[in-house]
Amino acid sequence: MYGGGNTFEGIKTDSVAQEDPAKLAEFEARIARGEKIEPTDWMPQLYRKQLIRMIEQHAHSEIIGALPEGTWITRAPGFRRKMALMAKVQDEVGHAQLLYSAAETLGKSREKMIEDLLSGKSKYSNIFNYPTFTWADCCFISWLVDAGAIVNQLANAKGSYGPYCRALDRICAEESFHLKYGHHCVIYLASGTAKQRQMFQDAINRWWAPMMHFFGPSDKISAHTEVLMRWKVKMATNDDMRNQFLDMYVPKIWELGFTIPDPNLKKNAETGKWAYTEPDWEEFKRVINGDGPCNKERLEVRRVAEERGKWVREALKSPKTAYVTPLA
Amino acid sequence: MNSLDPRVNRLPAIGQPGQILPKAALDQLGTFEVFVQPKDGKPFQHEGIVHAANRELAFVLAKEAFTRRFLCTSLFVADTRHVYVSPTTEGNTNAMDQLAEVINQPGTAEAYDIFVLPKRGKQHVHVGQVQAVLPQEAMWKAKQQNLHQGKVVYNVWAIRTADIRFTTEEEKDLWLTLPEKKFRDASDYKGGDKLKEFLERSKTT
Repeated sequence: MYGGGNTFEGIKTDSVAQEDPAKLAEFEARIARGEKIEPTDWMPQLYRKQLIRMIEQHAHSEIIGALPEGTWITRAPGFRRKMALMAKVQDEVGHAQLLYSAAETLGKSREKMIEDLLSGKSKYSNIFNYPTFTWADCCFISWLVDAGAIVNQLANAKGSYGPYCRALDRICAEESFHLKYGHHCVIYLASGTAKQRQMFQDAINRWWAPMMHFFGPSDKISAHTEVLMRWKVKMATNDDMRNQFLDMYVPKIWELGFTIPDPNLKKNAETGKWAYTEPDWEEFKRVINGDGPCNKERLEVRRVAEERGKWVREALKSPKTAYVTPLA
Repeated sequence: MNSLDPRVNRLPAIGQPGQILPKAALDQLGTFEVFVQPKDGKPFQHEGIVHAANRELAFVLAKEAFTRRFLCTSLFVADTRHVYVSPTTEGNTNAMDQLAEVINQPGTAEAYDIFVLPKRGKQHVHVGQVQAVLPQEAMWKAKQQNLHQGKVVYNVWAIRTADIRFTTEEEKDLWLTLPEKKFRDASDYKGGDKLKEFLERSKTT
């Protein structure tokens, strides 16, 4: 699962002009050659800052994204689904750990990142601020939100920062289970009773808008990211990712006989691009800034978990260990 | 809280809702580097990092974090502070060629494990063991002994073998149950037949 739609809003590229031109040229040449950047390499401040922000947001999305699904473990239909969902939720939390470590190689500690998540300073994927009312909502996340995540992650795995690519390679391998599991759940609902079908249709109706938001604001209104694309921090535009997702999954949703609540959704056979109703970006902004149906609950669950775990961390403290920036 | 999830509603009231206190300095725990051997006969490679209070806990966490699925025959962990790191190179510059000559150091020689980065963006891979007094000397010996087999490598790590927490022989059965955990694997979720049957059914109705 992944926090799509990194907005990079208001990035200031002024600092790039102040970098050492020779080092900057060497850095850009390395990326242009397709070589990866490793933690000890020189890198522009803006590159470091944006990568920390992106990987951190991704990590937060994994850990928060485990909550709306985790809540369904005890109510998943049958032992088989419970085992699978537990394994999936464990994977998501594991992904967060991999990603926090990758971000840490850039110089921000994991605990600082968690602090920023809880204080609301760092963001996570907007989609996890919506509630999972039924088992079908949980299936929607497992199949389609993870599918969207895979589109993003496969692109980012070709990025320029070594530790992030290594983490993503591992994550993508595990996501293939999530996707197949999610699709499996949905096939069972689709081929089940009328009530089961209706449950999944209702889930699509509820989740379609957040799903369209998932890839971030339209290219028309999102900030200028040319330098981030050149540095292979961002690998495709938000609209390109959204289009790729629609292209791969709308036919699969239709195949199962479900409808999508957008009368304008249609593929242009000539351009290969999908037309759709522009999502409500005001709602997106409102929810990302804290005013969604579940923002408070998600952060409060994390905060309480953090507080409850405090005595364990204190009990484990040892003068023999020390936090240092991990290596790779 | 007013959640759809009754367990969330039952969470104990700890601290002030929404109030975040700064973390204590040592709340971070230490960092440990994890190395995994996917198959017998294959070299160990660096898999990532765990945060832990000590080496034993790091080993347990590493098992959970990195070897829940896929093949694994063994893993080991070492404190990040115990990894000695060479400069990183690029292009055709071999990191081995950048090492300083360190020989005949006074003291007792010990075993060091050597790892190299074969390609930027890939993992460090274990290439062998040397006897040395200092990690710098261990790296130089690795170069002399051509542990990198003449290939261009971009970074070298040396860890004193005594600082590594290895998997013991008795612990190797930790991974024997992996093949039974098919529910963690994409191949266990074949919906093709059910989908086909559903599509056939839809056509006729």
